Amino acid sequence: MSNTVTSDHDVEIDTKEAWNGGVSPFKVSYGKMMMWFFLISDALTFGGLLVSYGFIRHKYADLWPKAENVFTHFPFVEQHLPLAYVGLMTFILIMSSVTMVLAVEAGHRMDRKGVTVWMFWTIVGGAMFVGSQAWEWYHFIKGTEAGWVRNVWDLGKQAYVQQTVHGANMVVNEYGVPQFANYFFFITGFHGTHVFSGVLINFIIFMNVLKGTYEKRGHYEMVEKVGLYWHFVDLVWVFVFTFFYLL
Amino acid sequence: MEFNDNYPQYEKMSNHDEAYGKKARRTLWNVFWIMLAITVVELIIGSMAPAKGWSGTMGLKVLFIGLTLVKAAAIVLWFMHLNHEVKFLRYIILVPYFVFMTYTIFVILTEGTYSGNPTNVAKVDKIFVQQQEALKTGHHAGGSGEHQEAKGEEHKGTEEHH
Repeated sequence: MSNTVTSDHDVEIDTKEAWNGGVSPFKVSYGKMMMWFFLISDALTFGGLLVSYGFIRHKYADLWPKAENVFTHFPFVEQHLPLAYVGLMTFILIMSSVTMVLAVEAGHRMDRKGVTVWMFWTIVGGAMFVGSQAWEWYHFIKGTEAGWVRNVWDLGKQAYVQQTVHGANMVVNEYGVPQFANYFFFITGFHGTHVFSGVLINFIIFMNVLKGTYEKRGHYEMVEKVGLYWHFVDLVWVFVFTFFYLL
Repeated sequence: MEFNDNYPQYEKMSNHDEAYGKKARRTLWNVFWIMLAITVVELIIGSMAPAKGWSGTMGLKVLFIGLTLVKAAAIVLWFMHLNHEVKFLRYIILVPYFVFMTYTIFVILTEGTYSGNPTNVAKVDKIFVQQQEALKTGHHAGGSGEHQEAKGEEHKGTEEHH
């Protein structure tokens, strides 16, 4: 019985036996490894989307709108503040990533109170981020008051007529090429869906922490697993932030 | 070796005591401050760029992507604890991802040049480019008359659904 139950930090598995079954050569539980595999596939999806975005962005560089001319709003402030709001959103998400990792750390010490407090703030941060994204979408869709006056071919009159475009949708975009709006809606929408489901999953785990499920189980690995997912969401945002707002 | 389901409890292996936790927390907060500093620097450079004429320059792109990769590494290695995992697990996660992403970027840079190449534009997305140019002239609320005449054909085609 060389490989019996142990909670020591420095448990050593004989490398000759590690690949014969019965133990994990990776010294990791099944659930955690599967979470990593899921995150790789999800990261490939986001990677593909961002590479395709980068390609179109580069190809139509002259026609592409500049983010600092599009996202200039800030709540309760009338001034034009480019990048300020997205800076705040990024700060909120990084902050919630830190509270999540502190919850994981508290879980490693079996500190139920610590896990509860830090997970609570993580959920608050995630909800704030989703709300901020909804606000950003609202202003992008609504557009500016002046809008953009364009000429449209009228089939009935057989002549060009002037049409004012406000905001962005999947067909037209006040600020520039429609591709910008399409990619923005798709990639930030896909990321926002991840954040939203992350908040829901965090909430379920938070309820289990309150009930003491993991206290009874003797470990808080579920918190660590949802933590991996949550950090992944933050990781994707780091790239979305760079490619949509900075470049 | 016979099958044995009396496996070690890997779930409990990462549990640690208060002394270790104190050290771990200090590291995590340091990582956070570094990430925050990088983000603030990015925002400052990003808001200065249009006035200074840095927008779209290669140096700025390389700088932003480099800083992003530093932040990504910080998240993956410290927040996701990947540098605490067994070396082999680290590699089966990172190596396939980097291989596939490098390949995707390689493919889009080599095959993608077909539609980016001016000689192929006519074949692939002539209508798209002309439409965009027409929309661009629309920005100035009118544009020249003959310019619109030339674009008339494409407009009939693309605006029918309005």
